[in-house]
Amino acid sequence: MNEIAVKESYDVVIVGAGAAGGVIAERATRAGKRVLLLEAGPARQLDDLASSQIWARKLKWSGPWVEEEGNFKVGHVFNAGWGTGGSALHHYGVWPRLHEADFEVASRYEVGLDWPLAYDDLRPFYDTVQAEVGLSGDSTGETWRPSGEPYPLPPVPVFAQGDVIRSGFEAMGLKTSAIPLAINTREYKGRSGCLYDGWCDAGCPIGALANPLVTYLGWALKAGAEIRNRAQATRILHDDAGKRATGVEYVDGAGAKKQVMADTVVVAAFAVQSARLLLASASPRHPDGLSNRNGVLGRYLMTHPSASVYGLFDKETQPHLGPTAGQLLCQENYDDKTAYPDTFGSYQWLIANAMKPNDLLGIATTRPDIIGERLQPFMDAAVKHIGNMVCVSEDIALPDNRITLSNNKDAHGVPLARTVHNITQPSEKLLAVAMEQGKQVFAAGGAGEVWASAPFAMHIMGGTVMGNDAATSVTDSYGRCHELDNVYVAGTGLFPSSGAVNPTFTLHALALRTAEHLFGKA
Amino acid sequence: MSMAGSRRQFLQHSGLLLSFTVGAGTLMLSPGQAYADNVPMQVLTAAERASLESIAEALVPGARVAGVAHFVDSQLAASAEDCLLMLKYLGVPPDGFRGFYQGALAAAGALAQRTHGKSWDKLPKDHSDQLIAAINGPDPEGWEGPPAGFFTFVLRADACDVAYGTEEGLARAGMPNMAHIKPETRW
Repeated sequence: MNEIAVKESYDVVIVGAGAAGGVIAERATRAGKRVLLLEAGPARQLDDLASSQIWARKLKWSGPWVEEEGNFKVGHVFNAGWGTGGSALHHYGVWPRLHEADFEVASRYEVGLDWPLAYDDLRPFYDTVQAEVGLSGDSTGETWRPSGEPYPLPPVPVFAQGDVIRSGFEAMGLKTSAIPLAINTREYKGRSGCLYDGWCDAGCPIGALANPLVTYLGWALKAGAEIRNRAQATRILHDDAGKRATGVEYVDGAGAKKQVMADTVVVAAFAVQSARLLLASASPRHPDGLSNRNGVLGRYLMTHPSASVYGLFDKETQPHLGPTAGQLLCQENYDDKTAYPDTFGSYQWLIANAMKPNDLLGIATTRPDIIGERLQPFMDAAVKHIGNMVCVSEDIALPDNRITLSNNKDAHGVPLARTVHNITQPSEKLLAVAMEQGKQVFAAGGAGEVWASAPFAMHIMGGTVMGNDAATSVTDSYGRCHELDNVYVAGTGLFPSSGAVNPTFTLHALALRTAEHLFGKA
Repeated sequence: MSMAGSRRQFLQHSGLLLSFTVGAGTLMLSPGQAYADNVPMQVLTAAERASLESIAEALVPGARVAGVAHFVDSQLAASAEDCLLMLKYLGVPPDGFRGFYQGALAAAGALAQRTHGKSWDKLPKDHSDQLIAAINGPDPEGWEGPPAGFFTFVLRADACDVAYGTEEGLARAGMPNMAHIKPETRW
């Protein structure tokens, strides 16, 4: 590795060019700041986003390996992204809001952690992001939805798969609504409407799905923010007192170690890598990692324990049509987190997800027991008659679920991240209760054969949790590290609780709140 | 390019072209084309290829001619970042991919020799079916390799990728493709 040769200076250096970093970059640039984004992965453009479940794997994490342990591993490769746009480049665009109770699980239920802000504090930022990005949905139909402005776009259409599964919910006395999506149902601010072809996992090359390339990150780059790809941040530098960051050290694509100076450093490298960078930036002033005097950095790692229900219906379902995210939503009883014995948490159903024949979530893989001459007849039936939906359930923030540094190192000598994530009985049982409900819904909807996936981890949160008390959290409510005046964290790592909704909308709202705190209201 | 223009352009058929090394050159071929042209393996031995094709074909009929061996081989030859194997999602570090496949194929080959005195490609169907059942679950006695059931799951998924996940595969599955954009040499 070459010696440090270049020092540059920016007003704001952001580690990670994903959704959260994009929001900060856009507002900072708009405020006249010089902004640099350091992105560990390669550059991505819309025409990279080939429609193939095989090629889609390019978009998933390919950086330094993350060692995972526990009874419910967080699935870092599948959940994280690699390259400009980060994980939001391959996200499915489900953008529900957290509910009021999600912010107060400790004070209401004595479980996990409270947020340092309430829903009402975040609501204006949800509303602003919603208007700027353009969400589709039916705010009236979502009877469980917290207060907020109506969606600017009408909901996605319901295709045959949605129709047939909805009938199962209705037969069970359960309500469904249109699903709130960051997917255009018609042209919005120059971005195309969706074609409903189910290729969302491979990234949306027409920009109908609000990935960072066509929203905040794209806007920031157009406005003058700079991005440096293949630039892996290796440590955050600080002054002699250890009170202020002075810049970021990184290794460029040629393997040269460099430094860039900054007035403000924003760590937005997704939950695991953000915690890893802060831990790896240990110094004599911060011997256990930056802003880790209390030992909280890396703790409270969370995911959404999830599983899918599948069924073969007599009616044709056209499973290839619609968004991968689904066509309908059910959050019935979401606000009662103790509704079932020996469980804790909320859950939601994402209903009638578009499917492809192959891949981890594809039709063939839902039945690994079917092999040989039985496979083609199954495929023939399933491509016309399969239905599916995904349960997303709440995790509990536990201190022993954590990100630490491994004894093993990456190519640049930085310790790898090691994660431990276990779920306890209340979470495990909640998912089991929900899955039983899901199977009943499918049977009620007329599915002749019903089966379920193994549980899997969807989304990653925590590790750099925010809070009001500097003794028990890593950052304040704006993501500012308690021990460094000018180091901010952005992204899902800040979440003190998971709720049971997809996190991308909330991370945008939080990042916008941080950006306005730093740079003023646009 | 206008959004409307790009939208039309994206409405193309989707294919899967991979980079295959032939002599001193590189060809962009689908796995099925590479199989038809008998493109040399880059990583797998002839015996490993024969076992892999036989097991994959037994799991997913049609996988052999769809090029499953060429697909797996090309991906094992690729860099970790360029590798598209399902194994990427399943908790195995990229530097362990070759060892996973070659270890499992060695274990499967040894099982076939131990049980029937033949390699997988020489087994009659009833013996092949018997061994597939034996490895599609807990490790059979004497198995020395990655977990047999996990290997079977992984290889079945790879086989489904080439049999059902390409342009031809989607047609075979009877599912409209409706690709926005065709995978090209760029990836």
